Amino acid sequence: MNGLALGWIYVLMALGLTLIFGIMHIMQFAHGEIYMLGAYVVYYLTASLGLPLLTATALSMLVMAGVGLVLERFLFRRLKVDWSSAVVAATGLTLILQSGSVVMFGLYQRNIPLLAQGPFHILGSVVPKDRIVAVAGAVVLSLVLYLFLNLTRYGEAMVASAQNPEGAILQGIGPHRMSALSMGIGCALAAAGGTLAGSLFTLSPYMGLVPLVKGMTIIVLGGMGSLPGAFIAGMVLGLIDGLVPILFGAAWASMGPLILVIVVLVIKPQGFFGHAE
Amino acid sequence: MELDMKVDRGEIFGLIGPNGAGKSTVLNMIGGTLRPSQGDITFNGKDITDLPSHTRSQQGIGRVFQENLLFMGFTVLQNVLVGYHQQSLISFASIFLKTSGYRNHEEILMKKAFDLLEFVRLSEYSDEIAINLPHGRQRLLSLAVALATQPQLLLLDEPVTGMNVEEVEIMLDMIRALRAQKGITCIVIEHNLKAVLGLCDRIAVLNFGKKIAEGSPKAVVENEAVIEAYLGAEQDVA
Amino acid sequence: MQNRSSLGISLGWALAVILAIVSPLALSNIYWTSALTRILISVLMAASLRTVYLVGEFSLGHVGFMCLGAYTSALMTLKANLPFALTLPAGGFLAGLTALLLGYPFMRVKGIYFVILTVVTSESLRLLAFNWSDLTGGTDGLIGFPGAGSLSIPILGQVDFGGSNEYYYLTLTVVCASLYILYCLEKSRLGFTWLAIRETDRMAGAVGINVLKYKVINFSAACFFAGIGGALLAHSEQALSALEGASFGIMTTIYLLVYTVVGGKMRFEGPIVGAVVLSLISEFTRPVEEYQPMIIGAIAIVIVMLSPDGLVTIPKRVGLRRLRSFAPKSKAAAKPKA
Repeated sequence: MNGLALGWIYVLMALGLTLIFGIMHIMQFAHGEIYMLGAYVVYYLTASLGLPLLTATALSMLVMAGVGLVLERFLFRRLKVDWSSAVVAATGLTLILQSGSVVMFGLYQRNIPLLAQGPFHILGSVVPKDRIVAVAGAVVLSLVLYLFLNLTRYGEAMVASAQNPEGAILQGIGPHRMSALSMGIGCALAAAGGTLAGSLFTLSPYMGLVPLVKGMTIIVLGGMGSLPGAFIAGMVLGLIDGLVPILFGAAWASMGPLILVIVVLVIKPQGFFGHAE
Repeated sequence: MELDMKVDRGEIFGLIGPNGAGKSTVLNMIGGTLRPSQGDITFNGKDITDLPSHTRSQQGIGRVFQENLLFMGFTVLQNVLVGYHQQSLISFASIFLKTSGYRNHEEILMKKAFDLLEFVRLSEYSDEIAINLPHGRQRLLSLAVALATQPQLLLLDEPVTGMNVEEVEIMLDMIRALRAQKGITCIVIEHNLKAVLGLCDRIAVLNFGKKIAEGSPKAVVENEAVIEAYLGAEQDVA
Repeated sequence: MQNRSSLGISLGWALAVILAIVSPLALSNIYWTSALTRILISVLMAASLRTVYLVGEFSLGHVGFMCLGAYTSALMTLKANLPFALTLPAGGFLAGLTALLLGYPFMRVKGIYFVILTVVTSESLRLLAFNWSDLTGGTDGLIGFPGAGSLSIPILGQVDFGGSNEYYYLTLTVVCASLYILYCLEKSRLGFTWLAIRETDRMAGAVGINVLKYKVINFSAACFFAGIGGALLAHSEQALSALEGASFGIMTTIYLLVYTVVGGKMRFEGPIVGAVVLSLISEFTRPVEEYQPMIIGAIAIVIVMLSPDGLVTIPKRVGLRRLRSFAPKSKAAAKPKA
């Protein structure tokens, strides 16, 4: 069940990264730090201001979306021409945010209030309720995203823009707004993911690195710029991460994702649903 | 696309047709960047259908692409030197020991490169960066790079498009000289019908992915289906 | 004009070499000597990272190959009692071989996809080292394996490389030899072919270059040197850890990338300058250690926005002629250029 919850959290990361990459053509390496900061914002809102978890999460998502907009406007917009510069800038950002967090928050273990208390009896086995709530939360967010992309004008423009940058302009929405939107939504999703993870596990300034790598793995597997691909790949990865350690031991567990990625690449270099570049 | 086509050694074979007829597709299939879903391609008696494009180049198929596909950041001379890759020496000794054998070899290649640049009349531009050249000279450079690979068959995709009358004549003369001096077979795609009719021994006409006519330039021009195809597509037959 | 700048470069190199040789003796400080050793290793790592850029790709997985080389060499000295002179190249070869095998599927993939692949690989290799606890000690790490041992060298007699000065000079020799090899590769026909692939790979294929093969050769060579760097690191500290925050994690990867790009990815000297300058900055900011990554990160962002080609290009020698040394100027170039 842990695996399922984690899988969905990683999917949230992957969705955000896919959006940002699809629209801005930049791999936002500091996304893990957004995830981490989202969790810390919730921590401070609940611990210092005593806000209820749901409110705090919503606020955190808004705050991080705002951060995303600022980053897009002042950092990434100036670097879009050269993707390698963007990678370096993002990594520089990671360094700053991560060490900044260590300085500001320290390395203590912190926790966000639980999503739910107690076990849930289902089909004869016992499952902690909070895992279920986490999965449910992630599913809801993904659905909202899906609806947004398919039903609203902005959403459709984003999908079109990912396929073809001129497509969005034809819809009357400028590329800058597209980038800002993708960055905002992507960061909000990451913040949500961080909150869920922070509630299920603990917070640390380094918590963003692993989800970032997992998110990126999901993207390569599922195909860049493909949202359904991200879902499927996320599930597959979650399954592998859950089963391999049990079946083959921890050492193989680390090679699992890599071997999977290699196999997929050899068979279909664009990932499950990707389109040829 | 459905095609059955045969080109003989030493021919200059033209491929024409309205836009979208599939001409570049044919060159892509011969050159190896596209695979046919059915059928096969034979070169010099050998089946090359499954060979990757770099192997086809090694077999003797050279290409001049429609867009000026060059090493834009390199100088003209360096572009041609890349073309000589297949004749170059890359080995442990040549990298680290810089033996005199290797140095002689590179000098020979350098000389060949200069001779080639003279043939395409680009000698004075040898140190110019490719991206700074005007379109016509970039085209000539593309030809030079393709020639460096010592092809037996040269695939030319719109070699004279975008050139002025003078440049067109120069290019056509070069293509004729290639056949006369080096025995290179050429397949030429062109929209400039006057050029094609004057240059080619035989011409095939494609429309909507199918061959609708083939024969000598005279025969093709008088072919009714061809005229209709061009008028139908509102082409300018000039 | 040309002569003046190449004279400048040669002087720069000469100065660097002299400083490198003299520093440990002049400073006479064990802490600084081992710091310098580590700087040398990161120079090698950054230079080999840049080698991959010659074919137009970025590898963020160099650290994983460093990890491979480090553990291979350490374990071979520990369990098989082999001398360092053997285990050092062995570490390199294992890393290079792995890169060769992985190269064939990986090199079909380009740009950002490739970057992601390398990150995933690096993390997987680290986790492998971490989880294979019987072999590598897991959380406790690997300690107590022998150092570089001693060697009988003509003129100098029996030299024991256990001492930090001696190990420094050993590292200096290995790193200089490696840099020389990388330089030869870059300036040779092979390097020229790599650059052609980076420039326009479709055209490279059309002239008969087997793009995949050459990219794999490039990747293997670069990772070989990453392995060597790892082995050097292992025996300098004589302790290895595959923990998240330690030498083989993402942070090191990020640092290496920053060193290379900030120094200048277009020129051979770039990563060297970047590694040295930024490492020295890190050393001097020890007192404010927690802020170190922030400082480096900030520098990275500033440089990338203001001078994207790196520190080395700041002396305004930005010419379009990046390939000066391969095709020497023809007679025609004697004409003055506008």
